[in-house]
Amino acid sequence: MIPSFAILQVEATHFHMPRLWLPLFLLWIPVILLSPLILIVILGLCIAGRINPWRAIAVFWSILCNLPGTHVHVSAHDSKVLVRIL
Amino acid sequence: MNENRRQILEMLAAGKITADEAEQLLAALEPGTFATAGTFTGKIPVSDSSAESTVKTRAKYLRVLVEANEKGEPTTVNVRVPMQLLRAGVRLASLIPKQAHDQLDATLSKHGVPLTLSQIKPENLEELIDHLEDLTVDVDAKEEKAKVRVFCE
Repeated sequence: MIPSFAILQVEATHFHMPRLWLPLFLLWIPVILLSPLILIVILGLCIAGRINPWRAIAVFWSILCNLPGTHVHVSAHDSKVLVRIL
Repeated sequence: MNENRRQILEMLAAGKITADEAEQLLAALEPGTFATAGTFTGKIPVSDSSAESTVKTRAKYLRVLVEANEKGEPTTVNVRVPMQLLRAGVRLASLIPKQAHDQLDATLSKHGVPLTLSQIKPENLEELIDHLEDLTVDVDAKEEKAKVRVFCE
């Protein structure tokens, strides 16, 4: 399942950001529209790097699809960073 | 006879599974036996009795917890990574060109990490992840006032 939302929260001594829900699924609209161009760029980079492009796409797709469930929370002194991918 | 046991016996009678497979499945239903590897212990309710059978389930996440106290200020790190993401990440290593592998191996061994990245192959991947599921690392450094826990859940 591709990531649909990301939750981001950053807090510092003089900076407080409310918890942001980033709708990642909206990014898929430009990605789909630009997919032919992206594919050409990926193919070019893979050929330049002598990497099998289909294997590279499969690996990156696998990483992308397995991102949901990732949770990072770091809190130090008066600062706090929270990143969650849903 | 409970529903699970009946299903197993029906599959055996229908020839869908062998006697050995049926025995393994029945053993897995017994309380206190483990079906698969992993560190998280879940409970499956048994329909015909009040007893519950305990079956180990596969770990889904790798959790890293760090609690430190720097200059009297508490610092905490809590990272949860899906195991599937680790699998995908190890596959990423197979995309690294050979020259880069050699350079990485040389740099790692120079810094005291005798690891050969080229030895991490997809066929060894499942074994690696399975062993990772049984991993629990607890570091309690009293002088540094730091506590590190790495485990699967």
